[in-house]
Amino acid sequence: MGSEKTDEELMLAYAGGDLLAFEMLYRRHRGTLYRFLLRTLRHRADADELFQDTWSRLIAARERYRPDAKFTTWLLQIAHNLIVDRFRRQRPQASEEETEAVFRKLDAPESDEPERVLTEFEQRRRLQLALEELPEEQRVAFLLRIESGLGLEEIAAITGAGRETVKSRLRYALARIRTRFAT
Amino acid sequence: MTTRRDPERDLDELLGKGGGEMGDLYRRLPRYEPPRRLDRAVLGEAARAVLSGKPPRRQRWIFGLGSAAGLVLAAGIAWRIGHDAMNQDAVPAPRSAPVVVPVEPISESARAKKHEQPAQQAASDDAAAPPAPASNAEGVLRSRSLQDAAKSPTEKTKTVSKRAQAEPPVTTETPKPAAVPPPAAPQAFPDTAQEREQAQDSGQARDRAAPLAGAAAGADKRAEPSPARGRPSTTPPSSSVELRRDMQLAPEDWLSHIQQLLRQGRRQQATESLRLFQRVHPDWQIPDDLRPLLR
Repeated sequence: MGSEKTDEELMLAYAGGDLLAFEMLYRRHRGTLYRFLLRTLRHRADADELFQDTWSRLIAARERYRPDAKFTTWLLQIAHNLIVDRFRRQRPQASEEETEAVFRKLDAPESDEPERVLTEFEQRRRLQLALEELPEEQRVAFLLRIESGLGLEEIAAITGAGRETVKSRLRYALARIRTRFAT
Repeated sequence: MTTRRDPERDLDELLGKGGGEMGDLYRRLPRYEPPRRLDRAVLGEAARAVLSGKPPRRQRWIFGLGSAAGLVLAAGIAWRIGHDAMNQDAVPAPRSAPVVVPVEPISESARAKKHEQPAQQAASDDAAAPPAPASNAEGVLRSRSLQDAAKSPTEKTKTVSKRAQAEPPVTTETPKPAAVPPPAAPQAFPDTAQEREQAQDSGQARDRAAPLAGAAAGADKRAEPSPARGRPSTTPPSSSVELRRDMQLAPEDWLSHIQQLLRQGRRQQATESLRLFQRVHPDWQIPDDLRPLLR
């Protein structure tokens, strides 16, 4: 598949008027973007709306696209900006105390936490619940990593946070998810 | 999955290839996809953007502005038509209760006379001369709808409710002057209203269906100020406007008016007006000099 065009090439082709290039690009990223939005926003209607808005903004800005920016980063950055705007209009973030409580629980002696072996179905269900319960910033960082496969630098570029901050968010997110599995 | 883990090791696993154990578990979650309608919307928007070369949002805005401008233009034309018609109606008379009276079919002789008029008007080089009769009928209907658009909502409702009573009844909807217009005075939509009534009565409008474009062209001509206004008209035609005006007159005045029409040689209009008079005032005594008109 050496002849297959990269995302950046396709985006440039679309900016030049090649509609087929856009269709290919859209097919490649529609699922990942949609799942990222749906799991971050947790409401299908919101996800639908921001999904369309993300692509609309990309289409409107097609002539300003420069291939020095990775296409996936650019696309997810647009989506992330929309998510942040949406969150600002909604509820506040989880408090620091809440997060610390999760870690205290994790630091408890091993004997206090009975080891459980969960069925696969139960594991999937708990992961979904845990994702829904994560504070927004942690959830975004976790999903960018696990759904989109981005590295720390890319997540930092998209969210506008520092590398270490991203690392910290991921660590907290994992801890919360583990807590959900423990209960 | 166990509950006790080292957070740093978990993070390293997560950042490793495939996301480690958490990545495996995540990939077993349902793989949601965007609905088809979103696919269509996005791809459609992308296509529109490429084809038009403009952002779709801006396009929608321009489209909205264009629609609004069109409405304003239509309202302006309608207002102009209505204004012209008002100017033709001279001094308004006190408004009486609305009376709806169906117009009787016009006699064959009157119709025959009517058909001679286009030729005479063509000779007078009148730019607003009516095209084909069916076109006129459509044009008048179109003009009337434009007039309706310019009317106030209450007036509009009144007119609609009157029309709903029955077509082709003649309705009295605007104040009419008590004075009789001079024979050469220009009328609002000369000929066309009468012809419409004739066509409706005899069913000729259906037989003489003219192209819509022709009708529209006729309506456009009438929307502009008539170049023939002020020119002496050789054959002042009757119209539903005048008939409606006649209906506003007191019975004695109406009969005097009919006699005056007769004296002016406007026998056709006098006949129509008298027929209408008889329907509105069936018990009223018709003067002897007018009785021949009813035969």
